[in-house]
Amino acid sequence: MASTACFVIVSKNDIPIYEAEVGSAPKKEDLAYHHQFILHAALDVVQDLAWTTNAMFLRSVDRFNDLVVSVYVTAGHTRFMLLHDSRSEDGIKSFFQEIFLNPLYLPGSRIASSHFDTKVRALARKYL
Amino acid sequence: MMVELLLLIQRRSSIVFRVTFILSVVLRFMRLAYLIGYGVEIEKSPVNSASLSMLSWPKPATWPSIPPDSSAEVMAKEKTILQAKAREKLFDIQRKPLPLEPSSLLREANRRRAFLSVGNLSELYDSVDGSGLGAHSKLSPNKSSSNLMTRTMSGPATSETSLPVDRPMRLSEIHVAAEHALKQTISDPDFMTSLSSPEEFESRYMELTKGAADNYHRSWWKRHGVVLDGEIAAIFFKHGNYDLAAKSYEKVCALYSAEGWEELLADVLPDLAECQKILKDEAGYLASCVKLLSLESSLFSSKERQAFQSEVVRLAHSEMRHPVPLDVSSLITFAGNPAPPLELCDGDPGTLSVAVWSGFPDDITLESLSLRLSAFSSADEGLKAIRSTDARVLVPGRNIITFDIPPQKPGSYVLGALTGQIGKLSFRSHGFSQDGPVDTDEFMSFEKPTRPVLKVRKPRALVDITPAVSSALLMNELQWIGLIVKPIDYSLKGGILHIDAGAELKIEESQMIEIESYRSDGEHSSPIDASKVLSRPTDTGRVEKVPIENGKIKLPDWASDVTTLVWFPVRAINDTVPKGTSPASPQKHSIVDGMRMIALKLEFGAFHNQIFERTIAVHFTNPFHVSTRVVDKCNDGTLLLQVILHSEVKATLHVKDVSLDLQAGFEHLGKGDGRPTSSLFPLVIAPSSKAGILFVIRLSGTKDLDELEQADSMLHIKYGISGDRATGAHSPVPVKPDDSEELLFKISLKLKRPVLDPCLAVGFLPFSTDCLRVGQLVNMKWRVERLKDLEEASLSDDEILYQVDANPQNWMVAGRKSGHISFSEAQGSRIEIAVTCVPLVSGYVHPPQLGLPDVGDANISCNPAGPHLVCVLPPTLSTSYCIPA
Repeated sequence: MASTACFVIVSKNDIPIYEAEVGSAPKKEDLAYHHQFILHAALDVVQDLAWTTNAMFLRSVDRFNDLVVSVYVTAGHTRFMLLHDSRSEDGIKSFFQEIFLNPLYLPGSRIASSHFDTKVRALARKYL
Repeated sequence: MMVELLLLIQRRSSIVFRVTFILSVVLRFMRLAYLIGYGVEIEKSPVNSASLSMLSWPKPATWPSIPPDSSAEVMAKEKTILQAKAREKLFDIQRKPLPLEPSSLLREANRRRAFLSVGNLSELYDSVDGSGLGAHSKLSPNKSSSNLMTRTMSGPATSETSLPVDRPMRLSEIHVAAEHALKQTISDPDFMTSLSSPEEFESRYMELTKGAADNYHRSWWKRHGVVLDGEIAAIFFKHGNYDLAAKSYEKVCALYSAEGWEELLADVLPDLAECQKILKDEAGYLASCVKLLSLESSLFSSKERQAFQSEVVRLAHSEMRHPVPLDVSSLITFAGNPAPPLELCDGDPGTLSVAVWSGFPDDITLESLSLRLSAFSSADEGLKAIRSTDARVLVPGRNIITFDIPPQKPGSYVLGALTGQIGKLSFRSHGFSQDGPVDTDEFMSFEKPTRPVLKVRKPRALVDITPAVSSALLMNELQWIGLIVKPIDYSLKGGILHIDAGAELKIEESQMIEIESYRSDGEHSSPIDASKVLSRPTDTGRVEKVPIENGKIKLPDWASDVTTLVWFPVRAINDTVPKGTSPASPQKHSIVDGMRMIALKLEFGAFHNQIFERTIAVHFTNPFHVSTRVVDKCNDGTLLLQVILHSEVKATLHVKDVSLDLQAGFEHLGKGDGRPTSSLFPLVIAPSSKAGILFVIRLSGTKDLDELEQADSMLHIKYGISGDRATGAHSPVPVKPDDSEELLFKISLKLKRPVLDPCLAVGFLPFSTDCLRVGQLVNMKWRVERLKDLEEASLSDDEILYQVDANPQNWMVAGRKSGHISFSEAQGSRIEIAVTCVPLVSGYVHPPQLGLPDVGDANISCNPAGPHLVCVLPPTLSTSYCIPA
């Protein structure tokens, strides 16, 4: 399990619709800010990369000292972004794919389902 | 190293690559500056913290030591460190200052000095307070540091130090040592200048950051660009350049707000607000405060949110130069009742309750609050705003507000916008809120489908008033009229019924009105036999007596929702005397004569604004219709007069006595009291049936023809009636306690004397011979007989003129054609008149006729007297007329 990991789902109009800290390290307030910042800034990188490739899994698009941002883009241009310290790529890819198959939501709105939240954390424990 | 990097940057072509390099350059630049002691100049922003706290310290084998004679510099640095203080943020927003160090510099530097022992270091930590540069985020406990110490306790001892061997460096000493080390390393004069003083550092830093930001923006990496804009804004702010700072902050806030990254926005927006406050940009400051309140409440403490709210309220109540509307769409939201929509009838007002959710942390006073409803089907923006009652206080969370809705046009309405005023500023909210906690997985959308919240029905019948009885009631008697008042899905509470009687109808206001609950015909069988005593089972419901004043009846409350029968007493007035019929004078019966109109008006409704009007027609009739006929006429002139009483009502009539006042020209026979022949009273007449009564009368002599023509007989009938007021006519309402139940009915009858009144009879006596021949004399005889005594007859003279009429071409009259005859005055006296005639032609001819010119034809029986045609044979052959030549 990664010690640091922050998972954000961003809709196609750049609004975050879900965020969760899925790392095993205890949560620190200041770090949470960092994660938001880094992920937000990484959107710039993603928007460039997303049009250059037709693959869904973009792997690590950005590095920030130790932390890596990996992104998975769906057909509807929804981005799953994971901020983590270096980890195996396969695990991350499986994680994204499982999440992708577990939507439970209406496009454009925030995801407030506690089921989804539980599911995400369980998958994170399993793959990361 | 830095210089080479800078050169490298300029040579690279790719913007992004260049920019990324710039950023890393800037970071390392900042790190160096920090080492020297310029850390106070570096803004503790998330990006700086993120960058620097993850950038590890340089790792020399041994840390540079302090040069000799540097105590003055050390003192200067100490002063700088101690003077540094954190910037006080607006609204007293307290945040843990973000670290700019990956680990404690103090520890890191001293670790790299080989001669220190564990014990010394721990002493150092005990004696050192947190320096003014801000708390170190990673204040490791002593235990772990000593662990580190034991591991890295290696490296050659240095002989360059001038410090006592057992004392660790203070922070200021570390800074000075680093500065000197750098000065010896850096060759580039420009670079050196930029590290020579905090101000120089800052300007170089600003330059680099601006460059990086511009490049990012040009390459459309606007998020990266905006981050650096924030750093630039902080520097502007520090130097009091609030205008530029506000502009930069606005860029940052705009992006974060647009993309909905609220945590990031929460970090920057207070800074923007501070600039706006200093610049006295009231509108901007207000908008920022409202936006801060609108962010997720977990991002700020409740005290901080209360500070935002008090600023908003303060501004709202102050005299703003340019008042702006407040956008509180996410702070004040509303939702309709989960219950079915309020249903009103057309024209009725009502009250609607709406749940209003306040996202403010404290109670907030609204100067006014109005709700706009819009019609569901039309695109029309809506109705006039409906104002709630005056100033009110919204508590955080759910508030239930009731609005009084005036009468609206029919249709379906949904909630439109909520408007109101806080202080002097108006606000408008379109936001629908989800009423209640959202736990379900299905409900995730902000867009709640619009659900009608008010339905105003099209105008429809709310009540119906119909007469209870369709058959006729007694004229000229006090009768009950029943009205069935039926509410149709509407309460008639407080209703007032106005009854306005038309012409020739009077409501008896001294009597009480009876109101009873009504059962429809299926349940309640009305007695057809009116002789049954009227009895109403007590389980049909209540009966209440209410007074009537000026034609107004107030409906009792229990009658609001049930169908009721309202009985009120009226008297129809008809002053004309009714006339009976006979074969000679058939009646033209008009139904309109007995009809009376009653205008009804019911005022009801929750606010007395519904009116129901109807005019009903009620029929009244006389109890009897009378017809007469002469049944038989005896030889002595006695007439049997049959008087037929037809019952006109649906009730049993009990005829108690009948008397007939005869007109002139007639008189009773028998007892002479005007009563009928046989005593058959009381006579019961079933509804709509008839009975006949016989009178024996005869003609009496009278000379006055005019009197004879105009006189009428009067029939007096004493009767009683037993009927049910729910069926038709009934026994009149007793007004006074001793009113008898005996009723009197008078009707006039016109008896006509017989048209034919013969007092003379003329008869033709048979011929003496049975054949008449032309030229043969024949005697024609008539006999005139008196039928009545001369005094009784209408003739005055006893001499009667007679005249024989014969066609001169057919007859020759020998003798007198006319003359007078006189004969006895007694009844039965006769006289013969004989005239000799000669027929002139043969065939069937009219014989001569005897006429009495002075006597009217009516007075002659058998007129004309004589055969209509006689047969005349041709003359006998006569030889006296034939002469042969």
